[in-house]
Amino acid sequence: MNYLDLTIKEIHNALLEKKVTVTELTKEAIKRAKENCDNAFELILEDEPLKKAEELDKLPVPVDNLLFGIPFVSKDNFSTKDIETTGSSNILNGYIPLFNATVIEKLENANAILIGKATLDELAMGGTGTSGHKGTTYNPYDKTHSHLIGGSSCGSAVSVASGIVPFSLGSDTGDSVRKPANNAGLVGFKPTWGRISRFGLFPFAPSLDHVAYFTRDVFDSAYLLNILAGHDDKDSTSSLEKIDDYTTYSKDIKGKRFAVIKEIEDSITDEVLNKRFKFILKELENKGAIIERVSIDKRLLESIYPSYFVISCAEATSNNANLDGIKFGPYYGGKTYQEVMFNARTNGFSNLIKRRFVIGSYALMRENQHDLFLRAQKARRIITNKFNEVLNKYDYIINLASPSVAPEIGKASDKLSNEYLIADNYLAFANFGGQPSITLPIGFKDDLPFGVNVTSKIFTELNLFTAANAIEEITGFSNLSVNNYKNKEEK
Amino acid sequence: MNFEAIIGLEIHVEMKTKSKMFSPAPINFSDDPNTDVTLLDMAFPGTMPVVNKEAVRNAIRMCNALHMHIDQELWFDRKNYFYSDLPKGYQITQQDRPIGSEGYLEIEIDGKLRKIEIERLHMEEDTCKQLHFSNYTLLDYNRAGIPLIEIVSKPVMHSGEEARKYVDKIRELVTFSGVSDGKMEEGSLRCDVNVSIRPYGETKFGTKVEIKNLNSIANIEKAIDYEIKRQSELLLLGQDVRQETRRFDESKKETVLMRVKTDAVDYKYFTEPNIVPIKISDEFVQDAIDTCPELYDHKLNRFINDYNLDIVDAKILLNNIEIADFFEKISSFSKNYVPISKFVITEILGYLNKNNLLIKDFKVEPKYIAEMVDLLKTGEINSSQGKEIFAKVIKENKSPIVIKKESGVSLISDEDTIRKMVIDILAANETLKADFKAGKDRVKGFIMGNLMKQTHGKVNPAIANKIIIEELKK
Repeated sequence: MNYLDLTIKEIHNALLEKKVTVTELTKEAIKRAKENCDNAFELILEDEPLKKAEELDKLPVPVDNLLFGIPFVSKDNFSTKDIETTGSSNILNGYIPLFNATVIEKLENANAILIGKATLDELAMGGTGTSGHKGTTYNPYDKTHSHLIGGSSCGSAVSVASGIVPFSLGSDTGDSVRKPANNAGLVGFKPTWGRISRFGLFPFAPSLDHVAYFTRDVFDSAYLLNILAGHDDKDSTSSLEKIDDYTTYSKDIKGKRFAVIKEIEDSITDEVLNKRFKFILKELENKGAIIERVSIDKRLLESIYPSYFVISCAEATSNNANLDGIKFGPYYGGKTYQEVMFNARTNGFSNLIKRRFVIGSYALMRENQHDLFLRAQKARRIITNKFNEVLNKYDYIINLASPSVAPEIGKASDKLSNEYLIADNYLAFANFGGQPSITLPIGFKDDLPFGVNVTSKIFTELNLFTAANAIEEITGFSNLSVNNYKNKEEK
Repeated sequence: MNFEAIIGLEIHVEMKTKSKMFSPAPINFSDDPNTDVTLLDMAFPGTMPVVNKEAVRNAIRMCNALHMHIDQELWFDRKNYFYSDLPKGYQITQQDRPIGSEGYLEIEIDGKLRKIEIERLHMEEDTCKQLHFSNYTLLDYNRAGIPLIEIVSKPVMHSGEEARKYVDKIRELVTFSGVSDGKMEEGSLRCDVNVSIRPYGETKFGTKVEIKNLNSIANIEKAIDYEIKRQSELLLLGQDVRQETRRFDESKKETVLMRVKTDAVDYKYFTEPNIVPIKISDEFVQDAIDTCPELYDHKLNRFINDYNLDIVDAKILLNNIEIADFFEKISSFSKNYVPISKFVITEILGYLNKNNLLIKDFKVEPKYIAEMVDLLKTGEINSSQGKEIFAKVIKENKSPIVIKKESGVSLISDEDTIRKMVIDILAANETLKADFKAGKDRVKGFIMGNLMKQTHGKVNPAIANKIIIEELKK
């Protein structure tokens, strides 16, 4: 029995019962990280985590702090003091931050142990896990390396799915945690916008950016929110709304109302996935939940992706203007300040990033702003209003998280299909409106996992965990990982 | 052919808040370069702006002083451009919804009040300070993020004089409200001027020329007057005025070309996503206004009515708020307000001018100045003794009463002694009493002169005068 294959709560109990020490756990996590060949890490730490583990082993294990001695991984777009943070972009090679992101600080204070920085799509822009400066990150469920894990939080997803750590930090601007969670068989959760401080998260598109994370079960996800939620003086957008004890979610789903968005459901053609989804809905009904189909205009659903793309690229071009080769990151020289900036940005960004910046700038230009950026913002408002209207009548919106299991690498999707325009990109609606949203596994197809997504009204995380817990009870997919999958069968 | 000049002004005022507009970095102009810097000021990835409440309070105070409509929901925008002095690659400003709009101030032109309309007032952050050398540039991030207020007038001024008075009024308001030092020469108040001209009667505006880098209020007037003349001459020669940016060359007393303006830069403004709109309560606005330090006009009225100063003296004192404050501190120790004002204007300002000092270099306790004025007023010392003692007061920051005692300087104030001397003088000059009764007032001066001669100037003139009259009338 390897303790890293357990959930946070289970590992904590093992520590309490002295079946394992923090040092043993940390050593094993580092060993597994080094053995991993899915390209999940920008950096694997060794001395610092082991030193901290030894110190923690001298202390009694506190009963009420489940994170004590638990190894974790952070996406490499969270600022970590004295530890190189690149955002998987060459423009930040060698950048060693002077400060910790608030979430890193909170986890350190809880005595969790950071063992590595995970790969991502360059600067979190991308959904495939292929665009970081270290290349493609692979899906650990497929040893032939022919399937994507998805992104942008690709390395974070791999590290939890592979049993390297029981949880990892990611960020979710469109679906960057909730989509890879689908491909990795994980619980991927983002809370309400403002629930967790973003201070220290490299901004991609701040109005859409969320701190999010992967765990292997719903309880761990709820517990982590207890640790990470709360107002932060350094992030004025962080909320003052009261924090719940999120682990006290009700186990009773009776009378809860689920809305299935019909147009999303209809746009998915994979029969295995659809069948499994219907089975889950049926089981929820058996538990006393109410399931209803709700219609949203297809044109509105189809405009989620283009609106998302315009807004996120526009914000991104501005947020990354600080990366100019003057203050930090590699210096490429130049005779004038313009040349210094030009050289740094030419060499530092990949073409994909430059493409996004060009699109973002174009959308913001005076002559285009009205037709592109402001129009996308209007669409965002209309879409948000529509989904909130549904959430005013129902506790949850539930649909498959993705139209498929992890796609094959290099296989182009049909960019004009309903599947692509709707089901593959709809999750961003919860970034538009900032609602809490969770993806969790419900099944496998060809030994690759897939999941469902549930979203609820803003600041109703407690209620959202109730739904997630009910689904977890139905599937029995608690603590799913590549290692554990062999021993589990679908119900 | 006669032309009408159309002038609009954009004024940037550096606020003197304790910390920066969006970061907790301290603001201290005397600190070494690049020491008042936090992570945000250098735009480290992941840092976020937090709005400075004090800066908002200042902006509200200025809006109120300028009779502006105050937007009680704060919105900030990003102004995007690449420049070496702009750490984030964008400046956070208020483009779409300035905190203040539609205001005015009043200036006096030819003895008449004229209303100058103001379009907008908004908050933003300053950039790095750049020091250019022949083959390199130094950046000082201390200035990056200092809160600024930008005040934009409507294009409603028509002469250099109006513009000068307008800027002077703004400077007066920002300094009296404690919002800023308002020092043009140090850059805490910066002014950009837009000037165009058109034939009288024409309703379309002419081509606008911008003048930058004006470092004194006097130069604003000079630059505008020159620019009006230059543009008029061009038009009279049948040439066009080009849209360009010029600067004022102080030695030549003329504006010189900096650059020809092509299409305006596209700053790609959009709402700052890291600051959610902030609602300002009525209480916050009211409190900012209620706690605003007293403004010039109010103070002037008070100096005239409460201290009985004449308007000329009051204005001299109010010319510099620190001097006005010093006057009020002195006046809390003595009710001899008018003599105090005269003393401040002639003795203290005289001393400062002579020694090329500022009021902040003047370290004497206000209480000692009050004592000084009282000693002179009661005649316990005369003016030449006063000068001697005052020199010591300045040197030692010591009470003039103590100095007087220590140095033995005193006047003969004992009534019996003086009376005896007066009686002796009258006895020696028998015609005096009769002359006095015949209306020859100079008799008094004659007796006083004799007293002074006998005592080597040490008789208390006030008491002596009283006794002389009493004795003459006997």
